[in-house]
Amino acid sequence: MTDNIASQDTVELHSFMQERKTLFCYSGPLTEDLLTTISNPVRHQLSDKETEEIVAKRVFGVFIEQAQNIIRYSHHKTKATGDSIGTIAISIAEDGFLIEAVNVVDPSKKDILEATLVDLSVKDQKELRDLYKKRLREGPPEDSRGAGLGFIEMARRVKKFEFDFVESDDGALFVYRGWVK
Amino acid sequence: MIFEAGQRTPQVELTPTSCLIRGECYPENISEWSDPILKALEECLGNDEGGFVVDIELYYFNSSSAKFLFDFFEFLEESAEGGKSITVNWRYRAEDDTMQEAGEDFEEDVSACSYNMVMVEQA
Repeated sequence: MTDNIASQDTVELHSFMQERKTLFCYSGPLTEDLLTTISNPVRHQLSDKETEEIVAKRVFGVFIEQAQNIIRYSHHKTKATGDSIGTIAISIAEDGFLIEAVNVVDPSKKDILEATLVDLSVKDQKELRDLYKKRLREGPPEDSRGAGLGFIEMARRVKKFEFDFVESDDGALFVYRGWVK
Repeated sequence: MIFEAGQRTPQVELTPTSCLIRGECYPENISEWSDPILKALEECLGNDEGGFVVDIELYYFNSSSAKFLFDFFEFLEESAEGGKSITVNWRYRAEDDTMQEAGEDFEEDVSACSYNMVMVEQA
């Protein structure tokens, strides 16, 4: 037995993750290669929980969009390779799942991101579906490295989502939380 | 011609008269994966073998792949408008509302191809 501070810290991490029912969490440089590697264990975790396949697919879909958002848009990069840094997690919450993502946002893109998400948050399913189709036909908006569809896709799959911007030493953090049932 | 399924890409089988896409689609780099397929499809559609049947059975695709599918259908439409007889079967599992809706949405942009929504029993 030991009561040194370092192991106490590790135990706190363990307890914290257990108490918030986090099934999966990754924090650090995220690449498409790494996403390929972690996709299977994430799936495995979801299918372990006697979750309906349709719900598990929805959770996985939101997870993939969040991960690819970090990869494409995180403003915090590793010095050596320029890989995007962020945090992504899946937890059990409110009879369903909570999928969370955090990354440093490009300060010049913060306002447009906020406006986009405020706009999406007030749309119903039909409006989201129509907007998705429109964006698909018209192509991505400027400044989008994906098809500009990711946030619409997530909004369609979640029961609700929240977002926030929080100041940190690395710059403003973009926080996205989506609940799936 | 067969493009084997990867962990993040569906199986694609192309013959002079058919195209089958089955599986999941969220590739690391969508155009890197789809460019050779679209090129091979173009060659298949260019022959004079008559009709062409496309079967698509996807269980999941990400938002980047939606753009590929849109371009894929646009390409089929152009061929059909040029006189090629093309049938598309969008196959989705019963209860999979997401893939059903996706199929219905693509159908809206298709008129020259014959387009069928086909519900399949879950394996």
